[in-house]
Formats: sequence, C-alpha cells, structure tokens
Amino acid sequence: MEEFYKNISDALNMLSGMEKDLNIRHFTPNELKVFHTIILRSADNEEGSNISEIVQNSGMSRSTVYKTLKKLSTEGVINLHKSEEDGRESLVVLNSVP
Amino acid sequence: MKNLFIYSLTAFVFSSVLWIMWSFFTVQSGIVPNWMGSLMYLPHAARVLMVVYFGWRSIPGLYLAELWGPYYLAEDAYNFALWIPSAISVLSVSAALYALKFFGFPLGTTIQSPLNKRNYKHIGLITMISAFFNALLVNVYLSQIHANFEPVDADINQVLRFFVGDMLGVLVVFIFLATFLKPVLQQSQSKS
Repeated sequence: MEEFYKNISDALNMLSGMEKDLNIRHFTPNELKVFHTIILRSADNEEGSNISEIVQNSGMSRSTVYKTLKKLSTEGVINLHKSEEDGRESLVVLNSVP
Repeated sequence: MKNLFIYSLTAFVFSSVLWIMWSFFTVQSGIVPNWMGSLMYLPHAARVLMVVYFGWRSIPGLYLAELWGPYYLAEDAYNFALWIPSAISVLSVSAALYALKFFGFPLGTTIQSPLNKRNYKHIGLITMISAFFNALLVNVYLSQIHANFEPVDADINQVLRFFVGDMLGVLVVFIFLATFLKPVLQQSQSKS
C-alpha cells in the first residue's frame, strides 16, 4: 500500500502546483462555489456567463454572489464586462493563468 | 501484480464517478443536445490520472468503467459495439507515454525527469498527446467499420470535437480536484 499512497501523493503534488498557479489557494468556501459555477458555465458559453445564471446555478443569494464576484475581480481571477446584447447585464469571464 | 486489485478498483470507481457526472451534465440534463463528441468530456481525466500515476494496473478497472458507463448511463447514445473503441480510448494514454519515452522523455517524479508526473504542465502535454491519439484512432476505427453516433461516417469535425472535448474535460476535472482537495493539498504542502 505504500506505493499506492506515494502515487496519490505525486498526484496531489501535481494538483498543488496547479492550485498555486491558478492563485486559488486562499479562496473561501463561497469564493470556491462561485469559481466552480463560473468554470462550469464557461464550458458551455465562451462569451462568459451572466450573473443571474451564476446566482441560479450556485444556489447562493444575489448579494453574496455580487460581493464574491467583486472580490474575485479585484484579485484578477475574473473579468466583468457589459453584455453587448443587454447593456444592463454584466458578463463574467475567467482570466487566463498568469 | 502487486496491488492490481486496489489500483483497478480505484480506477473503476474514479472513472465511474466522472461518467455519472458527465452523463448527468450532458446526456440527461440535455444541456448539450447534439452531444456526440462532447466538448467537455470528463472521463478522459480518469484515463490520464490513473494511467500516469497507477500505470498499467489501472487499465482493467478503466476499461470496465468505459464499458459500464456508456452501456448503463447513456445506452441510447451508442449504436455500435464499444469493445474496441473503449480499448483504444483507455490505451491512448499509454500510447502517449510510450511515444514520449520513444522521443527521449521518460516519465519520472523528480525535477530532473524529462517528464515529471508532479508537474501539471507535463501532465497537460500527456493529456494533449493522448487526446490526439484517442480522437484520431477512435474515429479512424469508426469510419472503417462505417459506424458512428449519427448515420454518417466520422469526419474531421468529429476528430476535432473529440480532441477539444478531452482536453477541456481534463482541465475542468483538474481544477475541480485542485479546489475540492484544497485542505488535503495545504496539509501535504506544510509537510513537505
């Protein structure tokens, strides 16, 4: 079993490097939830996800999602920009790994 | 043969979980109606992770999951026998590792290793090559036997969809694992 755990440890090391480069090590549970939702939505929509979709899919309140998105945007994890189709709606786009 | 059962069982369980998630997000929820050659194919992450870290001993479990997944979770989607395409998919990662070894990049665990299994960028390279093999070989096989998800032969668009889908699927699973396993990763980081 020692070899089994060593292999698992190698895989964890690899994921740890990725976590470090993605700059998500310090995320709170709410930030993680919003981040996961954005990733899942990004796979379906290249232009970015709108905030209403994130609120709906994350199961969190609108104000918590707004606060969290603002923090993620300040940290440079995401970018917020106005939707071309609906000026009242903001789109959330993941920033690439620095 | 040491630990064959435990490696195979781990691979089977991990791959099956990804199959269930993928089947839920794409097939059953109907998010992607025309899903053949999915653009976010999660089970490829199980192939990469298991074969890279557990080696050939994970292959029986992976192969069983590759058959169990489609036949029980998405049986309507496959109208052809999966014995050979599933084997090609599972072996695509081994083929990528052998190809890299052939060109002087054997897999190791240290910084000096040409291909370091602790470096996610190197795992990304393995993912890319295995996705290429999988996309190309599975679709060549399907076009040879004139079978496909739809009543037309596999074409280059489907090859591209397979390739991109495998890559994006692995990326999504890795990011999920990195964030979900955060407490474990922090613990292992403080130990090392």
